[in-house]
Amino acid sequence: MSTDYSQEKLTLVNELIYQIKVKEAMSKKVIFFKENVTFREIQLKLKEKKISGVPILDKERNIIGIVSIDDVITAFDKGYVDKKITDYMSRDVITIPQNFSVVSAINRLEKFKVGRLPVTESLDSKKIVGIITLSDILNRLLVVVQSIAEKVQDKEVNNTQISHDLIKRVERKPLRFEVKGDDFDSAGRVASITKKYFQNLGISKDIIRRIAIVCYEAEMNICLHSLGGSMIIEVNRNNAVIYAHDKGPGIPDVKLALKPGFTTASEKIRALGFGAGMGLPNIKRYADKLEIKSSLKTGTELKAIINLGVRNEIK
Amino acid sequence: MEVKDLIRVLDAEVLCGEDFLGQEIIDFGASDLLSDILAYSKDNYVLLTGLTSSQVVRTAELTGAIAIVFVRGKLPPQEAIGLAKSHHIPLLKTDNLMFASCRKIAEELKKEEKNK
Ligand SMILES: Nc1ncnc2c1ncn2[C@@H]1O[C@H](COP(=O)(O)OP(=O)(O)O)[C@@H](O)[C@H]1O
Ligand SMILES: [Mg+2]
Repeated sequence: MSTDYSQEKLTLVNELIYQIKVKEAMSKKVIFFKENVTFREIQLKLKEKKISGVPILDKERNIIGIVSIDDVITAFDKGYVDKKITDYMSRDVITIPQNFSVVSAINRLEKFKVGRLPVTESLDSKKIVGIITLSDILNRLLVVVQSIAEKVQDKEVNNTQISHDLIKRVERKPLRFEVKGDDFDSAGRVASITKKYFQNLGISKDIIRRIAIVCYEAEMNICLHSLGGSMIIEVNRNNAVIYAHDKGPGIPDVKLALKPGFTTASEKIRALGFGAGMGLPNIKRYADKLEIKSSLKTGTELKAIINLGVRNEIK
Repeated sequence: MEVKDLIRVLDAEVLCGEDFLGQEIIDFGASDLLSDILAYSKDNYVLLTGLTSSQVVRTAELTGAIAIVFVRGKLPPQEAIGLAKSHHIPLLKTDNLMFASCRKIAEELKKEEKNK
């Protein structure tokens, strides 16, 4: 089997451009002008700030136009550089609402061949709350990828066969992930990365499925029921160990929580297809061994072991 | 049955993943409870659901689904489509309700069985 790790990173970046919102990537400091300036004034500003265009806003910060370096050059050519911009600026401005994902921003930048997009407060508002360029997006992506990648430590191995050498290396370096509480949308990322990771180790499909599901349910519980925590996935010669620790509030009655159908999830979560009280029972079903320690003071520690070799019949 | 046969059987629209419609379907799972999917689905199955959040796609990806059919004409959000594209999972949409969808698939499977 030869799969390479860059594939996995691409998948991640691809996911992220749909998940990261314009709001998170944009610069909030917008350099702008009111309508009553000349092209020369704008030209000086563009030069000073080394930028290639500025939005023109009214008193309420609503966008009414945009002047780019091209417009300034044209103004020089045609001899109206000392005139006010009002009659010359382009009023068809391509903007983007702040709650759109950055993939829409990338599409617009490409489609309209513009270098920047003023960001509006919402779809039906013209009020400007930021400005976004391709490099803003790349910067944000890098930051996010980096913070995720740091947790997927040292996986750049050339030989993806499950060799003794590889297992030894992995043994020393478990995967570590932070998991945020109350972050339903990104829940599952740990499970997804873990699944790809095990696929690259060439472990059987059935075992990978079980690892992925155990990870996902444990991760979902941290997201839904706790204040946040972390997950560690350890690969040993004979088994995978999944640790899910959180900072609380703990489970008052673990035995009760393990009962199929027991849940404290909100109606909102249930409308999304979760909170059926089947998470812990599912983990129990797929893991070869499960330990849960929980205290109302220190939080919950879940440890699930899945054998990599011969599979135990699913209960 | 292959994933692309669902377009005809369910009068479905392909939302993404056109390049991955040639896979052989081994099983179907129909549910609006993701935990059920996590508990009972098999590899290379097609998921039919009335849910449209990104977590549906995540569940499908993690359980080895080869396509998702959104029933009742529901459209998933952009994030869900992005996630599906990233993981090469075709998304289909049909106006059929869940029961009608299942019935049509069952009929098609029976027909296939007879023609063998
Ligand atoms: N990490 C955790 N911290 C606090 N409570 C938890 C945690 N994990 C599970 N629980 C409790 O156990 C219950 C059952 O969990 P689970 O079987 O995963 O079902 P569900 O998540 O669908 O509610 C949850 O509703 C919650 O009350
Ligand atoms: Mg749960």
